[in-house]
Amino acid sequence: MTRLGIGWLAVPACVFCLLVFALPLALLLLESLRDGQGWTLDGYRNFLGSAYSWQVTTRTLRLAVLTTLICIIIGYPAAFALARARGVWQALFVAALLLPLSLSVIVKAFGWTVLLRSNGVVNRLLMASGLTDAPMRLIFTETGLLIGIANIFLPFMVLPIFSVIRQIDPRLTDAAATLGAGPIHGFTRVVVPLTMPGVVAGVTLVFSMSIAAYVIPTLLMGDRYQTLSTTIATSFLYLQDPQRGSVAGVVLLVLSLLVVGASVVLARKVRATP
Amino acid sequence: MTTFSRRGLLQAASAGVAVTGFPGILRAQSRDLVVGGAAGMAGYMREFVFPVIERQSGMRVVFDGTRSLVNLEKLRADKASPRMSVVLMDDPIMQIAWAEGLLEKLAPSATPNIAKLIPTAIHLDGAWVNYQAPWVGIGYNRDSMPRGVDSYEALWAPANRGKVILPSLQNTEGLWTMIVAAHLETGKPFAEAQYDADAAFKKLATLKPNLLTIYTNQPQAENLLESGEATLMSGQFSSYTLIRKAGGAPVDLAAPKEGVFAMPSGICKVKNGPNGELANAFLNAFMSAEIQQILAEKSYVLPTNTEARLPAGFVVPPGTPFAPDWENVNKNRDAWIRRWNEVMA
Repeated sequence: MTRLGIGWLAVPACVFCLLVFALPLALLLLESLRDGQGWTLDGYRNFLGSAYSWQVTTRTLRLAVLTTLICIIIGYPAAFALARARGVWQALFVAALLLPLSLSVIVKAFGWTVLLRSNGVVNRLLMASGLTDAPMRLIFTETGLLIGIANIFLPFMVLPIFSVIRQIDPRLTDAAATLGAGPIHGFTRVVVPLTMPGVVAGVTLVFSMSIAAYVIPTLLMGDRYQTLSTTIATSFLYLQDPQRGSVAGVVLLVLSLLVVGASVVLARKVRATP
Repeated sequence: MTTFSRRGLLQAASAGVAVTGFPGILRAQSRDLVVGGAAGMAGYMREFVFPVIERQSGMRVVFDGTRSLVNLEKLRADKASPRMSVVLMDDPIMQIAWAEGLLEKLAPSATPNIAKLIPTAIHLDGAWVNYQAPWVGIGYNRDSMPRGVDSYEALWAPANRGKVILPSLQNTEGLWTMIVAAHLETGKPFAEAQYDADAAFKKLATLKPNLLTIYTNQPQAENLLESGEATLMSGQFSSYTLIRKAGGAPVDLAAPKEGVFAMPSGICKVKNGPNGELANAFLNAFMSAEIQQILAEKSYVLPTNTEARLPAGFVVPPGTPFAPDWENVNKNRDAWIRRWNEVMA
């Protein structure tokens, strides 16, 4: 097939992306720049000039950053364990990781509201292990939210890293050792740079989903925990203020793109470090 | 000789089924009536009320349960081609929907039971009507509060730290706590205190240490109250809490000494909605003594049909339930929601 012929194969996907992603984003941007009278930057002025908006933005970023960090800390070694496991164990680990994905986020989040109660499984385990004497308040706290959201998004960190680790030639660490690299040096200079594409993919997925999460914070924290996503919903659904909702949407998108872009640049630097 | 291939026969059979079966499918769909309402009422409506109407009129009720404000948004979005025929919403939302031309006035000739309603249940000459009147107090967990709740001050009591649930101001029932807060802060009666938003928010800010959460989804919050995770839930109505109590849940509804509120339950016909005749039959049924008696018995609400009888043992709370100035509420609600988010977050 000619090069032009292969290029045509991408047309349906391009049209789909244009209609479903690019066009709505363009409409969102336009909506954020107009009010009842005409074109204006007042929406952005009001948003950036409001202490409450900054609080909401900071809270949203904090939630996304902490969730991503927790998922990396737990997911990175878990991905190695998964890649190194053999036979039935690997099948079991993969099933344990993938099966929860077949459940709705709403079901999983609601499940956490039960698990995190005073008499829930988490508090019972903490007391049985002697770590606490009395039930801790976990439900409707940021700690409880982070436990729940990290659990729900963890597979999206583990799977990309796992797929990259599987492709790393195990002889590379042996080669590094023959050249005098110790285990830690070999890991940080050889393995970590090679896993960066998986880490970037995992960070992109988890960060994007957690910064835009709506259902999980709503169920695990309630109406008191306002994020950019809940602000968008409130603006459109209750306040009939599409400009405010659109501005919050644009801010959310920009933050997401900035952090994802920064993680790509950082990953390239790590890989390029001799 | 003509031969028939297997594919040809299958195509002919499919076409035959389509030609003969399609009108039947259309007929079946034409008896469906899409009704919007509150998510919390879905259980008892589907169990006790809709089956009676379905038997009477041969329709199939498709219930879409959510919040009144979400139903309003759906009406706006579907204005050109409405999907819902009838909506059950709160009075303040009805006022907005009527002002935006989303509702069709009820005609006494099509819904004759309207003549049997108490006059205060008919709004704007039939733009919508109240089919029931639940009363509002404080829901509480009986195991945690065996002596009940005698005052709204209990919401602020140090003993209930981290154990109180409030409805969001996005939900109509969220308004009652705001009026109570203004009343407790100023000492004015509800009728005057409802206009003092500054006092309300000042008092509400002091409630934060006692909050477990603020809900927009009532069933999830009810679950927390029943499990004992929460002890008090403000702004609850008889048509939810007392049903759960009757079902064996360890909850009850208190009528505090300061007074109770009237939850306005309206029903309306959607302008240009599908199945107009079925919608009229449904509306007429909701105004009938028969359906309202079922509602009174199963959901502990006061009927609005003058011929409806209260079931034996029905407990009527003392005093007249307070109904606020909905015009004032609608005028200020957006600003209050913004302030609520800032103060309570």
